[in-house]
Amino acid sequence: MQGMTKPKSSTGDAEKTRHPRRGADCVTVDAAHHSVASEHHRPPAHYPKGSEVQREAVPGPDLREYCSSDKDIVEVVRTEYVYTRPPPWSETLPTIHVVTPTYSRPVQKAELTRLANTFLHVPNLHWVLVEDSARPTALVARLLHETGLNYTHLNVETPRNYKLRGDTRDPRIPRGTMQRNLALRWFRETLGQNATQLGVVYFADDDNTYSLELFEEMRSTQKVSVWPVAFVGGLRYESPKVNGAGKVYGWKTVFDPHRPFAIDMAGFAINLHLILAKPQAYFKLRGVKGGYQESSLLRELVTLNDLEPRAANCTKILVWHTRTEKPVLVNEGKKGFTDPNVEI
Amino acid sequence: MRSCSWRCDCTEHDLAKDRTISRLREKLHSLLEQTKKAEPTKPLKPPLPTIYVITPTYARLVQKAELTRLSHTFLLVPQLHWIVVEDSPHRTGLVSEFLSHSGLAFTHLHVATPHERKLQEGDPSWLKPRGAEQRNEGLRWLRENIRSQEGGVIYFADDDNTYSLQLFEEMRWTQRVSVWPVGLVGGMRYERPIVEQGHVVRFHTGWRPSRPFPLDMAGFAVSLRLVLANPEARFDGDAPMGFLESSFLQSLVTMEELEPKADLCTKVLVWHTRTEKPKMKREEAMQKQGLGSDPAVEV
Repeated sequence: MQGMTKPKSSTGDAEKTRHPRRGADCVTVDAAHHSVASEHHRPPAHYPKGSEVQREAVPGPDLREYCSSDKDIVEVVRTEYVYTRPPPWSETLPTIHVVTPTYSRPVQKAELTRLANTFLHVPNLHWVLVEDSARPTALVARLLHETGLNYTHLNVETPRNYKLRGDTRDPRIPRGTMQRNLALRWFRETLGQNATQLGVVYFADDDNTYSLELFEEMRSTQKVSVWPVAFVGGLRYESPKVNGAGKVYGWKTVFDPHRPFAIDMAGFAINLHLILAKPQAYFKLRGVKGGYQESSLLRELVTLNDLEPRAANCTKILVWHTRTEKPVLVNEGKKGFTDPNVEI
Repeated sequence: MRSCSWRCDCTEHDLAKDRTISRLREKLHSLLEQTKKAEPTKPLKPPLPTIYVITPTYARLVQKAELTRLSHTFLLVPQLHWIVVEDSPHRTGLVSEFLSHSGLAFTHLHVATPHERKLQEGDPSWLKPRGAEQRNEGLRWLRENIRSQEGGVIYFADDDNTYSLQLFEEMRWTQRVSVWPVGLVGGMRYERPIVEQGHVVRFHTGWRPSRPFPLDMAGFAVSLRLVLANPEARFDGDAPMGFLESSFLQSLVTMEELEPKADLCTKVLVWHTRTEKPKMKREEAMQKQGLGSDPAVEV
């Protein structure tokens, strides 16, 4: 198992850059979290005011809403950032440990690339990428290194079902389970000593789509926080049911709403302390009915009453369970038409 | 929150918060001074050419998700201007809201594809070329609004593909038309131009290699200057399958003039990913009973 790599220091050798907007807490007046539209991003003067809607790049939320009215405190400092580097590490923000199981297939590099491009905007993100493989692959190792993200690269191979043909994995073990469990074990073995660390664990599959807002919603998780997920269960979205007192009392799903936790993997996050405090809690490996994976872990950690609804009391969609089509490689033929040394 | 002026040393009012603020103000002020001092010694760099990304888009369930993850990539690219063109008779609230919160420099356009050119329910995706009117509308806007002495390059980026950050740096200094491999397209792991002695000599493609330009929309970029110098160049929506790119490029450039990028077209920096249509059987069943999900919740 690999140790956690520290984020690279920003080198500031690139062009003047702009740090993307952040919904950051303004209490820590960390100038690095703020940004201002640099000269490069102002449109040329002759952009017409026409019927077309256009706008220059500006930082997102108006930070003045959160801070005091003093202009000099709120005033942002121009900082040299290198594009494609994550935000500087903050000593005060809880870390979001994102656990992503992944496996080799033609779209893998594309999926991990666009996922990384999302994660590069999230402060204090630690990506735990767990390959379903006997050994860490060069493709993933190279990709992770080049992103500049803070990451840990693990691997464990789901046993193949030897009764079926060659590469088919054991269908009794849901995909990703062993990989997620390895991450849980890694947290307990590596981070268990430092009891004061603030962190949240989120299981993010490599083909879903995540808004940036989602990560800020989960950062404050005390035990387990929950929110709606689009495109699961054959619906536009599934959602926890939240009562007037802000408590989860059920599940708005069609598929088996009586599961203990009728929620998708992408719909919850767990406080790291809870993971460390209950070292026996894992996803059940075998004998799990379809849709009960999440319950198999969560029932060891919380009750319904403990759940913290997020995303405006579970009324907003901040994550989508997208799936990528398997590309038709019909023209490769039996022997392969393209050079296998060209990585895709 | 009460506060004092930045010159105050806060000895007159003993509030811990104000002392912190005072200390931070001093730090901020000194950082500002440092920055101002540092600036004159930095060598002046030429401004980066703008990358104008034209993305046709249309309303469907995964649209917001696609635009969201696309915007995350674009936010990491310096000097990028996103031209989003909806296939719609009017701007939709979803895309308007989304763009205004994206943090990107953008232009929001729209033009509806004529009915006879639209794919019908059940049509395979390859039946009719899509996005021609929308890309042409993007070109129209550029021609009417941008002066060529600014430099700049135009890239047609569909909303479901996947783009590496390096791709944008490869295309940024395009003089005429630059080209590179595209992954997961044409029924193959990748398609690419074949380069000999620094020039494109032919194309490695799984389908109809005799097309004038047998490459995917995601596999080339055009300099703004070239587009402005050729006001008639546009995509032909009636072109036969697979000839949409050629219909545009053949009036702009010859194969010999193409500029090969991505390590002489040996690296894959963009992938023609496609997103599955989400299964909605339960949603449809619920809606029949009047129990569908809340339509006010935007997905």
